[in-house]
Amino acid sequence: MRIAYNWLKEYIELELPAEELADRLTLAGIEVEAVERPAAAPAKVVVGEIITLEEHPQNRRLLVATVNAGGGAHRQVVCGARNIAAGKKVPLALPGAVLPGRGLLEALEIEGVLSEGMLCSGEELGLEIGSPEGVLLLDPAALPGAALGEALELDDRILILDLTPNRADCLGLLGAAYEVAALTGAAVKHPPAVPRESSRDAAALLRVNVQEPALCSRYTARVIEDITVGESPLWLQLRLLKSGMRPINNVVDITNYVMWEYGQPLHAFDFNLTRGGEIIVRRGRPGEVLVTLDGNERALAEEVLVIADTAGAVALGGVMGGESTEINPSTRAVLLEAALFDPVSTRRTAGRYNIPSEASKRFERGVNPDWVAEASGRAALLFSELAGGKVLRGLLDSNPAPSRPRRVSVRPHRINEVLGVEIPRDEVRTILKRLGFSTGEEGRRLAVTIPLRRNDISLEEDLIEEVARLYGYDKIPATLPRGELLESREELPERLQGLSRETLIACGFNEIITYSFISPRALRTLQLPEEDRRLQAISLHNRLSEEQSIMRTTLLPGLLKTMQDNFYHREMDQLLFEIGAVYLPRRLPLAELPREKVRLSLGATGQLPSPNWHTASQPAGFFVVKGAVEALLRRLGIAEAEYVPVERPFLHPARGAAVVIAGEEAGFLGELRPQVAEIWDYPQPAAVAELDLELLLEKARPVPHVAPLPRFPAGLRDIAVVAPRSLSAAEAQRSIYEAGGGLVEKVLLFDLYEGAQIPGDGRSLAFTVTYRHPDRTLTESEISAAHSRIEEALAKLGAVLRR
Amino acid sequence: MLEKIGELGETAVRTIEEATDLETLRELRLRYLGKKGQLTALLRRMGELAPDRRPAAGKRANALRKRLEELLGRKEAALQDAFAGSAREKERIDVTLPGAPFNLGRKHPLTLVLEEITAIFTGLGFQVARGPEIESDYYNFEALNLPPDHPARDMHDSFYFTPQILLRTHTSPVQVRVMEKQAPRLPVRIIAPGKVYRRDDDATHSPMFHQVEGLAVDRGVTFADLKGTLLVFAREMFDQGQRIRLRPSFFPFTEPSAEVDIACIICGGKGCRVCGQSGWLEILGCGMVHPRVLEISGYDPEDVTGFAFGMGVERIAMLKYGIDDLRLLFSNNLRFLRQFR
Repeated sequence: MRIAYNWLKEYIELELPAEELADRLTLAGIEVEAVERPAAAPAKVVVGEIITLEEHPQNRRLLVATVNAGGGAHRQVVCGARNIAAGKKVPLALPGAVLPGRGLLEALEIEGVLSEGMLCSGEELGLEIGSPEGVLLLDPAALPGAALGEALELDDRILILDLTPNRADCLGLLGAAYEVAALTGAAVKHPPAVPRESSRDAAALLRVNVQEPALCSRYTARVIEDITVGESPLWLQLRLLKSGMRPINNVVDITNYVMWEYGQPLHAFDFNLTRGGEIIVRRGRPGEVLVTLDGNERALAEEVLVIADTAGAVALGGVMGGESTEINPSTRAVLLEAALFDPVSTRRTAGRYNIPSEASKRFERGVNPDWVAEASGRAALLFSELAGGKVLRGLLDSNPAPSRPRRVSVRPHRINEVLGVEIPRDEVRTILKRLGFSTGEEGRRLAVTIPLRRNDISLEEDLIEEVARLYGYDKIPATLPRGELLESREELPERLQGLSRETLIACGFNEIITYSFISPRALRTLQLPEEDRRLQAISLHNRLSEEQSIMRTTLLPGLLKTMQDNFYHREMDQLLFEIGAVYLPRRLPLAELPREKVRLSLGATGQLPSPNWHTASQPAGFFVVKGAVEALLRRLGIAEAEYVPVERPFLHPARGAAVVIAGEEAGFLGELRPQVAEIWDYPQPAAVAELDLELLLEKARPVPHVAPLPRFPAGLRDIAVVAPRSLSAAEAQRSIYEAGGGLVEKVLLFDLYEGAQIPGDGRSLAFTVTYRHPDRTLTESEISAAHSRIEEALAKLGAVLRR
Repeated sequence: MLEKIGELGETAVRTIEEATDLETLRELRLRYLGKKGQLTALLRRMGELAPDRRPAAGKRANALRKRLEELLGRKEAALQDAFAGSAREKERIDVTLPGAPFNLGRKHPLTLVLEEITAIFTGLGFQVARGPEIESDYYNFEALNLPPDHPARDMHDSFYFTPQILLRTHTSPVQVRVMEKQAPRLPVRIIAPGKVYRRDDDATHSPMFHQVEGLAVDRGVTFADLKGTLLVFAREMFDQGQRIRLRPSFFPFTEPSAEVDIACIICGGKGCRVCGQSGWLEILGCGMVHPRVLEISGYDPEDVTGFAFGMGVERIAMLKYGIDDLRLLFSNNLRFLRQFR
């Protein structure tokens, strides 16, 4: 809502400058988003009065005017416009003025006649007023020589209100004036609103027939004859412009003007284009069609409230008028509608056709029932004053159940209890009075009568807020809640999530946060088979774009996209992780809330960051991701993890593993399948993992149980074997433990070699085995015996001792 | 005898001073002070002196012994302490070489801020609660006093899956879920951090963002308590001298309601580009829990009161770290992420 400060001053005395008023309103809950100045007029443009006007001696299409530029100075100006005459006040740009898009103006000869300036149209001044063809005609009372900005009140200020939806009352200047009155104590003055009516009875020409009083609780109509449609006076156009509305013609402008004053939307029909002398407020009919003012054909329906004449619909009630009865240059009689339409029905209709309007915005939020007739009278008065209209006698009014002011009671002690303050009862009464609410005593309570303009107040709490905001939120003290203490540490799963994050960061991984919605195309790059559950993603009904149209069922697409983005930024070395939910429908189409499961994704590509003189570069691939997973499991105290080779459509067929924890699959890790990397335009291989974090946290044993320190020394022996590739490191290790018969404390793979020196398809594995007995020192022969058993066990697996 | 002691002293001091390595020093110690050393030998011969001359000579010899001990000790320390001469250069490392690289990863800035907010409120006795991101219309709107076709729904442009299921537009539904579960037990003191979604995507809006909801319900909870709690939050989050300002506002689920501003952290309240010359920055919305919401959730609004607040995490992160473009927070650009610690 835009409020022109000078216009507001017509309804309330204002001593505060606009900026201070804005601050006061903001602190009282009517947020003033900004205080703007209207467009400025260029310098060196003054009000000129045309004294004489003659034809240009050389060019019949031009005129030569003598213009009074104030202070007795007369200037000769050549002009091409035809809408001027002696005596008119016009904007005169003097030499030295800089006009928008035209540059510096200088005195010059035009076909032999000296022109000492220029008469300007609104457009030439950079203002959206008047017609572009003619010179802008100023108020006849304007003072010659006065700066144009002054004459147009461009020194005004516009308060731009960011209104919350409850404060419909401030969608009109008068309502805003009452709010200001509550702050300053000044009185509100309503404008004149009683038209002089002719002796002809409106009722003789028109009947109002409301068939849907539930959707239109009140409908009033007036008929105004002898209208001359034309341009509105400049002051009215200026006020509309400052308020953000475009002047159209005097009839439409007046309805908008009065809407801005009262917050009451009005509609003017060309009365002679309505048929049958009857206005019918009814539901739309199936198959019925209405062309609205914006030129669009609207298919009507039962849910839509329409205004109709005897031949058919002429408007969408409370939303938009129809083209067939639109005000036009030859309109002679106007049917003026001022009505109350149901908020929900109006909102649905505006939403159905996607045509939110200033009118529908007000009806949705609630219009003051008290001012319907007054606004109608005000508009009728302006029709007679500014458009030559004759107002027919009588307001046709369907108002079967007039609204009555609401009574709400409030307990002053309750105000203090809720706010934590001590406001005396008298002060409460004073505050309510300033708001224009009358109060009566009712025992410990105050019975408060709420004027109809404040439809947002219906509960005691609403009154508590009114008292609080006028008392001043700044005067309310700051205290801390008292009461029972609670165990407030985060719950274990959340703490473990934090622990997981810390661990991955310590491993050098960077946290990312990607959108929960992804593109179906990104999901398809995983090449999942049709039956894969991850393809059962929930679709957004009203997506912003295809890119963000389905809810992720896996974190991979977001990870792959992030890696791609970073490749595009020439970041070749990336270690990334994300902790976030995936959304798994119980069934599709969605009938109940889906399951939301917390997952962890990891990605690695390039080199481990910053190799330097001290540490050579290391590839950041499968084993870096696995190392991070192992570190995480270790941190969570999960010892029983196995890595089982698997094939996944998006993983390299020979480089993927399932992570199995105590028999349950917790996710996978692996190198991205080259074809998938290629779809994503990756310049190099990448490794990824996705784990069910909830499962990990469930299996976690984050608190260690400490074993006693060893009291006897360990014996270390190395063993190197050449084994077929089919023998996995884990298998070899397991057989060492088993063969060691309880004496093996630890097995460390310290070397792996696969190359030319190794015959066949074998590889060399070298382990350090640590032997220890808890209760005594092992003898050389005991260790040797165990070691021989291990050699034999390995030999059975095809691993030949390498010497 | 005294002369001999004097001579020995001079020679010993000179040779010790001249020694350049520990080995020589060890030899010198033996030469003078060892069991077969020269000073020891002199002391042994003390018996040959006349009894009246013994004390002076003995005193002198002992003084020399002490002096040589001292000198040897000092010299040894000096030779041991630093590698002398070329040995030192051979051992020298270039201490300006960069250290072995330990590359810590970084938490996302939104995580950092969420952790900080959580820490502040858990420190004030608030528990952490969570709720689903895909919500029912009932919890997201209706139970929060936002019936269908209410104009206040315009404040929340929602992503829908079905007419009844949507992406939550705020963390407020967690309020209702927690109260429903806990009613009629008191007190309720929770925060609910999480992702929320609105159909807005431009320079200042992300379709997905983060909020932290707060809720305290008990007998005698006041608006003043709300103000005090938020003041503590602002001071912990930004600066101990931080000022806040509450402005009346409107949310369907609170009454009275307020928007909270903090004094601009860039200009300190004088007015600058960041705060639009106002000196204040809006950081959250709050209010006293609406009686209808309490009722719907199973509490008697005559018996208990409550306050609630909701803050945008992105906004706070941007203010705290001086991030001027919201989109950076969801760019996952490593050059951006690496700047956090």
